[in-house]
Amino acid sequence: MDDVQDKIFDIIAKERRLDRASLTRETRLDEVDIQSVDLVEIIFAIEDSFDIDIPQEEDAFKLETMGDIVDGVRRLIAEKEQAAANA
Amino acid sequence: MARVAITGLGCVTACGNSVAEAWPAIREGRSGIAEITGIAEPLKIKIGAQVRNFRPDEHFDPRLLPAYDPFSQYALVAAREAVADSGIDPGAADLNERLAVVTGTGIGGSTTIDASARRVYGEGQTRVHPSTVPRLMPSAATSNITMEFGIRGPAFTVTSACSSSTHAIGEAYWMVRSGRADAAITGGSEALFTYGSLPPWWALRVMDPFSCRPFSKDRQGFVLGEGAAILVLEDLDRAKARGARIYAEILGYGLSSDAHSLLEPSAEGAARALAGAIREAGLGLQDVGYINAHGTGTQANDVNETQAIRQVFGPLAEGLGVSSTKAVHGHALGGTGAIECLVTAKAVADQVMPPTANFTEPDPDCDLDYVTEGPRPKSFRAAATNSFAFGGLNAVLVLGTVA
Repeated sequence: MDDVQDKIFDIIAKERRLDRASLTRETRLDEVDIQSVDLVEIIFAIEDSFDIDIPQEEDAFKLETMGDIVDGVRRLIAEKEQAAANA
Repeated sequence: MARVAITGLGCVTACGNSVAEAWPAIREGRSGIAEITGIAEPLKIKIGAQVRNFRPDEHFDPRLLPAYDPFSQYALVAAREAVADSGIDPGAADLNERLAVVTGTGIGGSTTIDASARRVYGEGQTRVHPSTVPRLMPSAATSNITMEFGIRGPAFTVTSACSSSTHAIGEAYWMVRSGRADAAITGGSEALFTYGSLPPWWALRVMDPFSCRPFSKDRQGFVLGEGAAILVLEDLDRAKARGARIYAEILGYGLSSDAHSLLEPSAEGAARALAGAIREAGLGLQDVGYINAHGTGTQANDVNETQAIRQVFGPLAEGLGVSSTKAVHGHALGGTGAIECLVTAKAVADQVMPPTANFTEPDPDCDLDYVTEGPRPKSFRAAATNSFAFGGLNAVLVLGTVA
């Protein structure tokens, strides 16, 4: 566990009223009945929390498991920090 | 019950600011989608179907212009065209109080709302323009049309998101059909290419960043449009008596609500509206040869709409042509139903089905004939035009040829 994963699991558990302890990296979104409408709200909460933009182009951001979201968000945070360092 | 004819058409769209300009583009599938211009701030949404070459000072008295939000401007210009096209005299003593105005819009004066919010929140101003309220109210376009032509009959505005102007035309059709009015000026308008209006659409993650490709396997969503379309409806006997040109007859209007979701569509609700419109028209399913689809290009809508059409038509769905013209004029939200009703009226009058433009590859879940090769001449008695709004509010009109 780390901060990013913790925060993301918090957000998803809160948004979908799920048992936080039941979530793992392997949990699939469809397993916990996250529909596309729910996902839009979860993505917004994550974007707002980390101040990042999750890309909308197809295949640009994998959204099948909790681990996909965590890895994708980590990548976006790293890209953001890199861009800030280069600026 | 009166029969109801469409005797006048007018429009302002991304593919032309008159029917003479827009209809050939829609019929040929020449898309009006392009890079968004006119907004200084950086945008996440890069493409849209914006109205172009529209210079308000060419259309309006400079003393009146400050009172018109762009959504009213588009509606007024389209209404002038439609009234001139029909040949009716809205001010005539025998029509003046018997003429209805019903328009639809999803939001109303978005440009004005945005400008006012920018001054108050963004610039910390305490004063805003005194025309802010009369510009932004969703009923402003209707009011402005009544004043422009001196119309004194029943008038109001309908709002039901993406079905707004289809509901407006349907209600106007019923006013003429029931005898409450002899004629009606109806349609809808939307204008929300403003910096503050775009992020909420982007947040829904239903916008295609590249193009609008309805029913294609690789579709990623809709492309925002804007504009207006206005139709003149008239008691058929009255229209015939004065020798008016009749584009089509409105035969049926079906409405339903999904009671399902604010965002997700339901095939069951859509099918009930479509079936209801055909039932009211008194037609057999085989009489309907063309459907102008809601066809937004979102994953959800296009599959849902395909299922709804199959539910209603059964095996007869194979003989239907179904096209979405949103790839050409964009999704003009509260104005889109009116634009598509205008397109359907022209399709009926000219006996041609406009294509679904930008089609790439078939989706196994969207398996109807989407007229992807270009305009296709076809002989048909009637056509339907579908509107399915966020929040599950559905409206369908059926238009037919006039013998």
